[in-house]
Amino acid sequence: MLQHLPSVIDQLATFEVLLSILAGSLFGGFIGALPGMGTVVALIVALPFTFSMSSPAAIALLLSIYCSSVYGGSISAILINTPGTPQSAATVLDGYPMAKRGKADYALGWATVASVFGGLFSLVLLVFLAPQLAAVSVHFGQVETFALIVFSLTCIAWVSRGSTIKGLMAGSMGLFLATVGADTMTGFSRFHFDIYELQGGFSLISILVGLFAFSEVFYRAAIREDEVKPIPNVGFKVAPWPEWKSRMRCLLQSSAIGSFIGVLPGTGATAATFIAYGEAKRVSKRRDKFGTGEPEGIIASESANNAVTGGALVPTLALGIPGDGGTAVMMGVLLIHGVTPGVQLFKNQPEIMLGAFVTLFFANVILLLIGAVGAQGFTRVLRLPEPMLMAMVLLMSLVGAYAVRGNPVDVIVAVAAGVVGVFLRLINVPMAPIVIGMALGRTFEESFRQGMILKGGNFWAFFEQPIADGILLLTLVVVCWPMIARLIRRRGMAEKTVG
Amino acid sequence: MRRILTLAGVAAGLVVGGATAYAEYPEKNIHVMIPFSAGGGTDVPGRLFSIELEKILDTNIIVTNVTGAGGTIGATKLSKEKPDGYHLGFMPVGTTTTQPHIRKTAYSDKSWEPICMVAQGPLYVTVAKDSGMNTFQDLIDRAKEGGVVTGGPPPGSLPHIAQAAVALAHDVEFTYIPHEGINEVVKSMLGGRVHMAIWFGDAAQRFDLVPLAILDSKRSEEFPDVPTAAELGKPIEHYVWFGFFAPAGTPSDIIEKLSAACEEAVQQPSFVEGMAKAKRLIRYMPTDEFREFFTDQYKNNGKLLRDAGLIK
Repeated sequence: MLQHLPSVIDQLATFEVLLSILAGSLFGGFIGALPGMGTVVALIVALPFTFSMSSPAAIALLLSIYCSSVYGGSISAILINTPGTPQSAATVLDGYPMAKRGKADYALGWATVASVFGGLFSLVLLVFLAPQLAAVSVHFGQVETFALIVFSLTCIAWVSRGSTIKGLMAGSMGLFLATVGADTMTGFSRFHFDIYELQGGFSLISILVGLFAFSEVFYRAAIREDEVKPIPNVGFKVAPWPEWKSRMRCLLQSSAIGSFIGVLPGTGATAATFIAYGEAKRVSKRRDKFGTGEPEGIIASESANNAVTGGALVPTLALGIPGDGGTAVMMGVLLIHGVTPGVQLFKNQPEIMLGAFVTLFFANVILLLIGAVGAQGFTRVLRLPEPMLMAMVLLMSLVGAYAVRGNPVDVIVAVAAGVVGVFLRLINVPMAPIVIGMALGRTFEESFRQGMILKGGNFWAFFEQPIADGILLLTLVVVCWPMIARLIRRRGMAEKTVG
Repeated sequence: MRRILTLAGVAAGLVVGGATAYAEYPEKNIHVMIPFSAGGGTDVPGRLFSIELEKILDTNIIVTNVTGAGGTIGATKLSKEKPDGYHLGFMPVGTTTTQPHIRKTAYSDKSWEPICMVAQGPLYVTVAKDSGMNTFQDLIDRAKEGGVVTGGPPPGSLPHIAQAAVALAHDVEFTYIPHEGINEVVKSMLGGRVHMAIWFGDAAQRFDLVPLAILDSKRSEEFPDVPTAAELGKPIEHYVWFGFFAPAGTPSDIIEKLSAACEEAVQQPSFVEGMAKAKRLIRYMPTDEFREFFTDQYKNNGKLLRDAGLIK
């Protein structure tokens, strides 16, 4: 494949393609930063433009939007405590506290570099291991998916600061919210109370916008914080190398988790970021600082969500099966351009693949530029008078909630979720577990029920799958570890007192 | 003075109003609703078609995707729009003729003015390449031993009904595992968990699946070697179609105008080329023929669903 590199670069080095990458990255970053409007909306808005573009330019435009919109979500997560996209919900946990301490410039620096690293990490995997990873992806069946989601749910404990019980309750709320709407297994709609707009269920975006953006606005309007806020630094600062070096392990681990989850079916980017966050916290020496503005929290979430991009492209390009909502829209555009992703593409048109890889490389690297230049403007948002900022957030969130599906009920749901969110804040229930529950609920249920049909209704047959067993065992260890650790420590102390 | 002003206002209103009534349709943007997500199976032909309409009608066409619940959310929304010719829909067979029977939708066959049929796709019985099944007979033999697992979209979908029809005709049973969509089904097939899926020709091409039979009255150009269901003993025909609809009550002169535009659109070289690139089949049916066809389909699919025991 590499012998095509010079000709591919030649083909891509046109004004149209370069402009597409630049415009796509700017646009994607911007839309990603707007609360509610995520990757899919950004791609849909750009879709009609691709009809009149050449194929390489169209692919370049979409890939850059894809990468930068995922990155863009972190900007609003850090600056205004509202994730721009569901994938950045975990970034809020440490990004916003850091910005609140006046270090928004560093927070953006951590997020940007981590995003670029995660994106490039997954790109390397995509280039060298796509066919192998795709094979893993198809053999990761319903039972294995079920086991993985059981494992993923353990991260609820890690993101629930304070009360674990409240976190688990919030997680269950999320799981219940995911049951509303069409039931794939029967084709019927459930729990929609005869409101036809609810037959499609709650959209994750509208719940997210409500819980984070609206509740933030309502909370600030209702409760006056008298604390003196530090004047936020504007701009963009990358922490010095030693700071990064001591967090290298977190960066690598989270990028690997993101890439891997991206390859697998059904789990998705949102869950990937929370798993990466949970795992980072579990193994970190700085565990106690998580949730108070620890850079590792930002690194884990942002490197994982950008690593999902390369991971999700593995089944998309290698098999023609989109890995997530964003890649599904891209698939449609590729088909219109007469490019059919899949096994044949790898064999017959390697130059198209290679072109996509080269484009992805630039789409990731350009994020540094967007972050560095854009941050000058973004961070100034924090110096706006608060009523103005909040009004803007409210307006954009309303539009975002509506734009996802064009369904007016989503707006009402978002506002209602905002009111509930204020209440949850007052009683200190963490919001992130609700998002985890909602992001995983549907696949959790479907993989279980599909697995039950496959196994002829015998749940114990789930344990015939060795990979699933391994994952479930790991779950058990992770859940029990704090208790075991305490036991060991206590015995150690007892021995000391005896000795 | 006030009276004079009011009168003047009324007069002005009448003039303007009169002018609108006689103005040439379309005089403002037209909204085309597609009830599935952007880039998907309905969206691709729908958007290609809208591009042509935009040129022919010389106005802006705004495509909106209103998704969810088998397209019924979008269709319900469209059925409640003002029937003024500025709100139209590009919808497939399932949303318009099976979903109303399965769900209690607020709309029925009476809620639409069918304008034309634009595209069609026959269903194929497909298996994965390494499944060990090379002919339709292999599939039936294996099913007789028991243990053929098939996958498709949620119950009540066209592929679900089609596999039930195949099983019924050949007196076998398939285990049906509902998936969210074809992408998930293919993943299960490549992983060996699902053995057979009934889907459109584009999937066979995209995912390198082996088509064993076509559920149509004649063989297709894309797979000329694949026998029809009738050649294999039982005539079973199932195909998806995509039509262009207006809400019921849309004035007949507007329908005529749209009908003419539709006929022109499907013949445009750019449309033909675009559809070919996306591996989709154009199938045009003019208004009168389509209206009759649509009413028949609505009735027949209701009967099929009842026969399959999916609805009471």
